[in-house]
Amino acid sequence: MTGDRQAAIHDARAAAAEYRIGRLLIAMTYVAVGLLVVGVVLMIADGISPLSGGPGLDLATLGSQLVALDPAAFLWLGLLAVVAAPIGRVIVAGVAYARQADWLMVAIALGILAIIAIGVASALTVTV
Amino acid sequence: MVVGLLMLGAGAVAGAFGSLLGLGGGILIVPLLTLGFGLPLREAVGVSLICVIMTSSAAAGVFLERHVANMRLGMTLELFTAFGALVGGSIAFLLSDQLLSFLFAALLLYVAVTMARGRGAELEIEPEPDRHAVTIPEPGARQTALSRLSGEGYRVHSLGFGVIGATGAGITSALLGIGGGVIKVPLMHLAMGVPLRVATATSNMMIGITAAASALIYIIHGGIDPYVAGPTAIGVFIGATAGSRLGHRVDIRHLQLLFVIVLVYTAVQLLLRVFT
Repeated sequence: MTGDRQAAIHDARAAAAEYRIGRLLIAMTYVAVGLLVVGVVLMIADGISPLSGGPGLDLATLGSQLVALDPAAFLWLGLLAVVAAPIGRVIVAGVAYARQADWLMVAIALGILAIIAIGVASALTVTV
Repeated sequence: MVVGLLMLGAGAVAGAFGSLLGLGGGILIVPLLTLGFGLPLREAVGVSLICVIMTSSAAAGVFLERHVANMRLGMTLELFTAFGALVGGSIAFLLSDQLLSFLFAALLLYVAVTMARGRGAELEIEPEPDRHAVTIPEPGARQTALSRLSGEGYRVHSLGFGVIGATGAGITSALLGIGGGVIKVPLMHLAMGVPLRVATATSNMMIGITAAASALIYIIHGGIDPYVAGPTAIGVFIGATAGSRLGHRVDIRHLQLLFVIVLVYTAVQLLLRVFT
């Protein structure tokens, strides 16, 4: 196979991966908006004022709160989906680059995820 | 219920303005929540970060589908914006509300002055090629890491500037709850030789991960209220979607003038809060 043909295949794969990542981002955004809409509707139905001070995120009870149709649980799940969308994009991009054996970009994707993980770990250990 | 609808409406206005003027909604959400609803500035910043991620993801998805954004360059710079966001998100909880208000007022005045001077027109000027420009190698030749960040018809250069600027954009984003496009777009376009359209799309893609890195820190520190973030984020999404569809029907010059007045007024209000 010639270098030109290899490069063309590589470019086509990269373009297809970008397209899939774009679709993923859009889909995750709509899922997040859907969850937030459910949360806000339940909030209004329960007569909760936005300025009443919402509960913090508790992952341990999130599932049972969702079953109980707690507005805060749907809002938190929606907010987590919002934050997860760009992180998911980096993970999918990293996998796509690994399939193309583009190890520099794989390292960059892992670096981004490592920085986010360090931020979460330090926030969990440091009390402000 | 009324307050919830007002927040949704405020988010929609911020989203529509941001979309029409290409600024993102963050720059309006923080003062709207602070001055309009009496929220502490740090809490407003946390909510704004969520809104910024939402609009960025929706727009970046379309840009990636259409292959406008430069994903390699964007991810490379994201490494440094994420680091900046980590630093900014960590120190945001150590700074006083007054200092954050002062910094935000300074940012508003900077954007107002930039917009009033018609910097947008200045950005259209294609940068001169410089001696650091990387040549795209012939097919088959070993590509350097930098040349692989270049795109069709342009050559990326001055990566050092990009690294420093991206780190600064990350810190600013985490401290003030903005996307940081006001820094990243001129940085990529003027300093790194990226065409404006690609720079705007790539910046939009980068905003998501920058804001996500700091938003997680805000969530863990209890800096985001779901009851405020929910209605505001939905409003911003609706406003940004409507703004992007109405863009061609609106006279942007009048809107820019109105926006400059709003920014200066808001900056003055924030400064009054700091010094009184």
